[in-house]
Amino acid sequence: MEKLVVIGAGMASGRLLEHLFDAAPGAFEVTLFNAEPRGNYNRIMLSPVLSGEKSYAEIVTHDDDWYAQHGVTCRFGERVVNIDRDRKIVVGENGEVPYDRLVIATGSDAFIIPCPGHDLPGVIAYRDLDDTNKMIDTCGKPGARAVVIGGGLLGLEAAAGLRLRGMDVTVLHLSGHLMERQLDAAAGYLLRADLERRGITVMTEASTKAVRGTDAVEAVELEDGTMLPADLVVMAVGIRPSVAVAKAAGLTVNRAINVDAQMRTSDDSIYAVGECVEFAGQLFGLVAPLYDQAKVLAATLLGDDAAFMPKQLSTKLKVTGCDLFSAGDFAEGPGREDIVFRDPARGIYKRLVIEDDRLVGAVMYGDTADGNWFFGLIKDETDISDMRESLIFGPAYQGGSSVDPMAAVAALPADAEICGCNGVCKGQIVEAIEGGATDLGAVRATTKASASCGTCTGLVEQVLAATLGDDFTLPTAQPVCGCTDLSHEDVRRLIKSQELKSQPAVWQELGWSTPNGCHVCRPAINYYLLADWPVEYKDDPQSRFVNERKHANIQKDGTFSVVPRMWGGITSASELRAIADVADKYDVPTVKVTGGQRIDLLGVKGEDLPAMWADLNAAGMVSGHAYSKGLRTVKTCVGTDHCRFGTQDSTGLGIRLEKYLWGSWTPHKVKLAVSGCPRNCAEATCKDVGIICVDSGFEVGVGGAAGMDLKETEPLVKVATEDEAVEWTVASIQLYREHAKYLDRAYKWVGKVGLDWVRETLSDDVERKALVERFDLSQTIYRTDPWAEHTPRESASRFAPLTDLTLEAAE
Amino acid sequence: METILDTAEQTFIEVAEVWVPEGDRLTLANGAYGPHEAFAEASRQESFAKGEGLPGRAWSEERPVVLKEFDGSYFKRTEAAKAVGLTAAVAVPVFAGSKLKAVLVVLCADDAVRTGAIEVWAEKDGVLALNDGYYGAATHFEWVSQHTQFPRGQGLPGGVWSAQTPILMRDLGSGYRFIRSESAGKAGLTTGLGLPIPVPGGDSFVLTLLSAKGTPIARRFEIWDARAAKAGAPGTAKLIDGICEREGPLWDAENAGNEKTAKAWSGPIGRVLGTGVPTTQTGAGANGYQMMVALPIHRGGELAHIVAWYC
Repeated sequence: MEKLVVIGAGMASGRLLEHLFDAAPGAFEVTLFNAEPRGNYNRIMLSPVLSGEKSYAEIVTHDDDWYAQHGVTCRFGERVVNIDRDRKIVVGENGEVPYDRLVIATGSDAFIIPCPGHDLPGVIAYRDLDDTNKMIDTCGKPGARAVVIGGGLLGLEAAAGLRLRGMDVTVLHLSGHLMERQLDAAAGYLLRADLERRGITVMTEASTKAVRGTDAVEAVELEDGTMLPADLVVMAVGIRPSVAVAKAAGLTVNRAINVDAQMRTSDDSIYAVGECVEFAGQLFGLVAPLYDQAKVLAATLLGDDAAFMPKQLSTKLKVTGCDLFSAGDFAEGPGREDIVFRDPARGIYKRLVIEDDRLVGAVMYGDTADGNWFFGLIKDETDISDMRESLIFGPAYQGGSSVDPMAAVAALPADAEICGCNGVCKGQIVEAIEGGATDLGAVRATTKASASCGTCTGLVEQVLAATLGDDFTLPTAQPVCGCTDLSHEDVRRLIKSQELKSQPAVWQELGWSTPNGCHVCRPAINYYLLADWPVEYKDDPQSRFVNERKHANIQKDGTFSVVPRMWGGITSASELRAIADVADKYDVPTVKVTGGQRIDLLGVKGEDLPAMWADLNAAGMVSGHAYSKGLRTVKTCVGTDHCRFGTQDSTGLGIRLEKYLWGSWTPHKVKLAVSGCPRNCAEATCKDVGIICVDSGFEVGVGGAAGMDLKETEPLVKVATEDEAVEWTVASIQLYREHAKYLDRAYKWVGKVGLDWVRETLSDDVERKALVERFDLSQTIYRTDPWAEHTPRESASRFAPLTDLTLEAAE
Repeated sequence: METILDTAEQTFIEVAEVWVPEGDRLTLANGAYGPHEAFAEASRQESFAKGEGLPGRAWSEERPVVLKEFDGSYFKRTEAAKAVGLTAAVAVPVFAGSKLKAVLVVLCADDAVRTGAIEVWAEKDGVLALNDGYYGAATHFEWVSQHTQFPRGQGLPGGVWSAQTPILMRDLGSGYRFIRSESAGKAGLTTGLGLPIPVPGGDSFVLTLLSAKGTPIARRFEIWDARAAKAGAPGTAKLIDGICEREGPLWDAENAGNEKTAKAWSGPIGRVLGTGVPTTQTGAGANGYQMMVALPIHRGGELAHIVAWYC
């Protein structure tokens, strides 16, 4: 009988032994070493053991009886010291064992972040039953808190288990969304929401600086200084193949033990299987390829032909109630097409990625029933061109006619619920329509359908259309873009009412038909989010037009213009000298005075921008934001300081306003002016907000324009003091920020909502002050100089010449 | 592993019955009465209007109701129950959206040794607190439970509440933060089945069945997933978890995606799938056990899960 020694009693070697004993019972005399003091158990089911939803006894794959029945000599709890290849001996801690053939199945070790404190008691990896039991023991301590580092599969399963056992749990994840290797941002958003519903705190873009504690773990410190108290730290950031024994034995080891397709190492008598192997440059961490390897190795050992070939993999998360599925490659790329289905009410997101008429990737959350079918299409590289239209609906729809949403709505029974918020069924809506409610507003007023969250608006309209036939015409409100049926106004309302605070939240909860929006909707949504949730939402530069990304206006020849801010149009000799120096130093071809009382340096090369900004910063100047949908300029006349007609300090008020408002983002650009008397030298009556100083105080007007349209401001209010003028101005801009459609100038917005409503709203003292407070809060985040944030060294590459100038400019 | 021959031990639940709305009254659809034929006969003669008796109370109050003392209560079959030693009952309404599908009533016999727990947890101020419960002889555990609250995601009740899905816990007695868990361990309560009980309106209820080895609530538990989003098609359910004294684990990680499947109208689980109404079985339908109860859980008006227990 051949002597077979196996090092490691994990799932791969366990499956290998099953195959061997099935195919050739008695062919091998097996000795099985395992560093753990137990045999093979289903390691991937440790998470439900941690959570209490399975018992260890249930996950044992091979018990003592099984090993005895197959004559396996078990050397459990004994580490292998070395392999003597010349003598064909494995040396264990308790003695030597000769082999004819040897299988190395040492698996992997957890990667421990080598940060300060990583070796404190209480910091554990999550690899085996002992780790699991340590976690369970810690859960028994009153008030115990856990920090799980790593928001991948293992980390999240650990977090859910610890939470179920009663711990306060925080998950730290370096990337922008959870499980970024398996999920896109949309599915990551839903997963995060699911975990947060379980009381788990999730922190993304969180980098661990150190584990703190004296005799044991006490806290985790993040790079940003945040300190998270912890009694247990679980490191679940990745694995490293366990190759020390193989390496010491002189086998070829790269990142792991190199094997050929028959699982043979560089020594003909030694084989390797599982997480410790590297095949064709690949490492393996999921169980499916490990089982394939075991099957191939069994055949090899028995002298049969077999070759290991890596296959596509799919992922599932074992957290009860979190239903996700991911397979294949779902990165965006040229030539790839997305099919997206979202059902916000049910928390469902499905995305298929198609390339060359083949399904190459699938991500699903909430509805994973068809996961295996899609996985089959990916593995088999099936041509899906014939079923493209209905592919996302799964196998049940294939072979039938394409899905007509109108037909689907018409076929709904009368008791089918249309509006989940208010519990309104189709029958009630039809009854209302037949009773004379023939448009959306009337149905809403009669039945309350779509009156709350509004996401069923499209469905209600379809019921209207199905009931009224040709008598129904869809309302004229234009959708934001092709990604959604919702109008800008609807989106703004829903972002507020549903408290949507991230782009993935908007895409999912409002049922976007694309994975991440498009070049039309993304700038708008980015603006709405930062305007409504200045603290919670982080501005996304990638969702901005090129001018705002570059902090400069791109010109038609690909160069840029640079405009330093001059508060209220006031400058000084030193500022002018600095501007002249910059113009000389960077060979600026054109220097122009603008209509907004600024100096524009035109023809600047992209790569010079950061250095030029640094020079202007050094001279005390900041960005004039001449490129932004935000506050541009406050133009002033000289007022009482110099002019004999001046009635108030118009220059002082202009400077005060500009210093208050600068840096703020608005739906479109905002220009102000303050004139010191009704002669209006600062041309205040054609600005978004214009103030005319008079003997009795200040006349504040809004909604002026002097561009494609020419329009005089409309009088908003007359106030006696400068403080009041500032308060009304700021409040009116905040009202515009909170309610206007993106890319509507203030005059268009006032035209839509009516000056009376603006005046009435702002006349409410409480509301006016609240608007100012919200503006102030936003300014704590956004009143910053973008130039100063870009030091020359770190950002020069970002401003290198553009090769693609086709991006649509904002203006 | 124990065999069916061990079932001479007394079980915690003696009787289970299903009442369904017929017009404006609840009538008996089926029941498993064991040896209590007299009580069965009394039940067959009975029907309940909304608000009347225990089933009618669960209907009108739209929540699970625990009744630990029949004497002087609204329980209508007190004499018949007392005659066969039944002393406490729990009524669980089964709603699909706002529609009452049935009321499941389980009855227990009280004595000094029978340990187990049937609990109703309800959300109050953002946490789950004990609404009521029947604990048999586990009096200390009852007291501790009355003083325990579960935040979202924590413990069996909090886990069920946040996941909105039934959960079967294997070892309630150790490694949890809650003092209740220690007490459960001392009382011998090892296995816990928790299930969400949806009711009209916004209230959240979680029902738990906690089983002790000596007087088990069940010897076999099953959780079936009937959501089309998981099972693949309406009228289908997959056995996603379970344990059985005779067969061991009823799940198989190696076989994920190909779990045992039930089809509408075929077998007891299929009957629940087809009707959306609970069922009780004895004899062949109980898989060799004395009694089987299958309880559907609806979500958003649709059948989402079925839990079954056999004793």
